[in-house]
Amino acid sequence: MALLDGVLKRRAFRTALSQSRDRLYRTAYAWCHQPDLADDLVQQTLCKALQSQGQLKDVEATEAWLFRIMANCLTDYRRSRREILTGEEIEIVDSRTPEHEAYEQEIVRRVRSAVAKLPLEQRQVVSLVDLEGFTYATVAEILDIPVGTVMSRLCRGRRALREKLIAGRSTAAREEPAQIRRIK
Amino acid sequence: MSDRDNSRDHVSEEQLHAFVDGELDSAEKNRLFELADNAPDIDTQLCEYRKLKDMLRHAYAHPPRPPDSRQSAAGKGATSLRLVAGIALLVAGGVAGWIAHGPLEAPRPAQPSPAVAAASQPAQPDRLLLHVASSDPASLEAALDIAERAVAEGTGRQVEVVANEGGLDLLRSDVTPFADRVAELSEKQVLFFACSTAIQRLREKGVDVRVLPQANVEFSALDRVVMRLREGWEYEKI
Repeated sequence: MALLDGVLKRRAFRTALSQSRDRLYRTAYAWCHQPDLADDLVQQTLCKALQSQGQLKDVEATEAWLFRIMANCLTDYRRSRREILTGEEIEIVDSRTPEHEAYEQEIVRRVRSAVAKLPLEQRQVVSLVDLEGFTYATVAEILDIPVGTVMSRLCRGRRALREKLIAGRSTAAREEPAQIRRIK
Repeated sequence: MSDRDNSRDHVSEEQLHAFVDGELDSAEKNRLFELADNAPDIDTQLCEYRKLKDMLRHAYAHPPRPPDSRQSAAGKGATSLRLVAGIALLVAGGVAGWIAHGPLEAPRPAQPSPAVAAASQPAQPDRLLLHVASSDPASLEAALDIAERAVAEGTGRQVEVVANEGGLDLLRSDVTPFADRVAELSEKQVLFFACSTAIQRLREKGVDVRVLPQANVEFSALDRVVMRLREGWEYEKI
């Protein structure tokens, strides 16, 4: 029976690993906005997860555990390279933009650019809550910070994003006089 | 102070976020609904934060994937990490991670490293797993050559071919030039696996993926290779 449990657990673990890949990549990309680095973070996360599989007590908690590993991988990476990954250094590039999707892509580019300009700590919290839908308690576990810190970082991050993406634009729209051209 | 200002005093910005994120209990939610009814600016803020969440999800729904090339400029910062990842992988026998990466060129052992072998059961030469991840026709052909040789060399030798990333071309009925050879090998008990994750990814991009009838599509390449390594199969990446 124990043997069967073990087999089932391992299978569930492999499935969870496989299913989490895209989510991990999306978040990794939101953290660093560099496809190569994001891909490597995910790869390293999966490697470490396989190495440390035995440490995972509850298979249900695999996802949060994977994101925690990835957050640690990013921290290690920053330490080793002494990089801060600030928005100033991040260039948002999407060369595949077809013309007919220009407007939609413009929104995507604006949002990514605004997120990239947030301090990494806020970027991490905002992406874990908004993109992955983790609860504040889970985000606190993933990033190893108190829930209060999650809330304050989220608050500051969203405030900055709102200013750039919503409030700022409505003000600009109000201030900009309408350009009306008479057509005879 | 107006009534509106009074009502605002009772709601912190953190509470507004908690409301949007579903972190409030029922009583707190009710209170905020009531406050929002009487304070349009709170209502507006809630709408804006919800919109912000939607914008973020939209913006990251399809993040750009890294280019296939190993030499991309974006990789300048990632190179060391990739090496670290490659080393960690080999040390741990985490070939799965390497496979999961797909286009990663990193180390290409013809068989598992000693560490990998130690982590698995002893490699048994009568069981061979071939992994093809490149769409280069020469690689596809090489995989089939090796499989044919392996089958010819030993009676009862078990051979499996796992294809993912570009290697999926080997088993795609619409693009493979090797359908006949795959069919012949299949008749000689060689099993073919087209990575389910790679197929799904292509389909998400709108590609109408069709695979040869001999290809099994129930597993991801990751799962299959990890399983076979644990069982002590000899592994060769083409």
